[in-house]
Amino acid sequence: MDCLDRYREIVPDYVGFRAIQSLPLYNSARINTLKIEREKLLERLEEEGVLFRSFEWYPLGLKLDIESPGKLLENLLGFIHIQEELSMVPPLVLDPLPGECVLDLCASPGSKTTQISQMMENQGLVIANEPSLARVAPLRSNCERLGVLNVAVTRYDGRNFPRGPFDRVLVDAPCSSEGRERRGPGVLSRCSRERSLDLGVLQISLLKNALRLTKPGGTVVYSTCTYAPEENELVVQKVLEDAEDLRLEKVSIAGLQECPGITEWNGKRLNDALSCTARYYPHINDTGGFYVAKIIKN
Amino acid sequence: MSQKSSRIRNVFEPLDSSLVTRRWQERFGISEQVFSGCIFFRKARSIWAISDVDLPALSYEAVGMRIMNCKDRPWKPTTSALQIFGRYATKNIIHLNQEESMIFLEGGSQVIESDCEIGYVVVFYRGDVLGCGLYSHGKLVSQIPKERRMASTIKGAECEA
Repeated sequence: MDCLDRYREIVPDYVGFRAIQSLPLYNSARINTLKIEREKLLERLEEEGVLFRSFEWYPLGLKLDIESPGKLLENLLGFIHIQEELSMVPPLVLDPLPGECVLDLCASPGSKTTQISQMMENQGLVIANEPSLARVAPLRSNCERLGVLNVAVTRYDGRNFPRGPFDRVLVDAPCSSEGRERRGPGVLSRCSRERSLDLGVLQISLLKNALRLTKPGGTVVYSTCTYAPEENELVVQKVLEDAEDLRLEKVSIAGLQECPGITEWNGKRLNDALSCTARYYPHINDTGGFYVAKIIKN
Repeated sequence: MSQKSSRIRNVFEPLDSSLVTRRWQERFGISEQVFSGCIFFRKARSIWAISDVDLPALSYEAVGMRIMNCKDRPWKPTTSALQIFGRYATKNIIHLNQEESMIFLEGGSQVIESDCEIGYVVVFYRGDVLGCGLYSHGKLVSQIPKERRMASTIKGAECEA
């Protein structure tokens, strides 16, 4: 797990951070209000003897004390969607409204796409973009199971997605996924600073194009499930440097503790505004790891 | 984008809503108002429904939900579409008990007594639409797509390849 060592200086309670990596993550799910009301779903689970607990910060999120939640009838019928806890954060930060036009630039498998669709009450339009043909199948399948009617799927390279404009764009970028170690042990063996630098190049292009496609006054949310500053703050800093009409808005979710984005890395001072972005660490909320930035285009 | 070219070039072609809603009304008694927030497209032999918006000029892989397959006669509703619109059906409905619904969800066939017309039916369990079934000569054959079936129990093992 040496790739985490370089975060010793930026992660609070580094010992706790290392220790939790080997603890598996509980199963969690989102209630799909496109198909069922929250109270009805909770009644069903109680009737079936499924043990669950609602997230403290999001009433539609559930921790499930069950081995294979995917086999629940409620999942097959699309009443719930198995989704990691922190994966529910970026759509909430994006905060889409019914009737808007939203782009999810890196959409598969569609957990966030379908959450956006549900927040928009199946009205307006979500373009779910996914370049990989193999990854379009699970995206479509999740949309159909969850009863989504306001999503259209495209297959562009996100760096060249041709036209907007959109009210809001989510860039849940391909990343080194260091924050997923508790879900799939072994992730860290593929991580390195070099890999993060390579991914950073792609991520900057994706984020720049997302901002180009956004209406003036519109919102772009950039998220990854990794800790590497090269894929997080340095990406956001680069796009801020190259454009004048952008500002960061504070990312904060009541009930979920974030750490501010870093403003110094390897002895170099970064843009102070990056402290508005949020780092979520596994040992602080007993979750995975995530980074989220909210950019407003003036 | 004529009808002909859409079948050849595999593009989404806008479709008059009455052409779609009439069929759902005829087979299931579902009122056209149920579809009032949707617009429809045809691509090859499938019909798709999406929320009523102006679609930007992009190349699409999917437009909303695939709701009907018109490859064979009669047309077949998708399980996804029935789970959304099927609860408004007033005919060609079958209600299953717990044991029957398990067989159905595993993708099995079973003898069911019903006065439904031959053809595709909306299958319910405890007020929820489970999906699409094919009813013919007293037999109900599950049309649940493979990836959305329940894992087979020992008895129903024949259902899953």
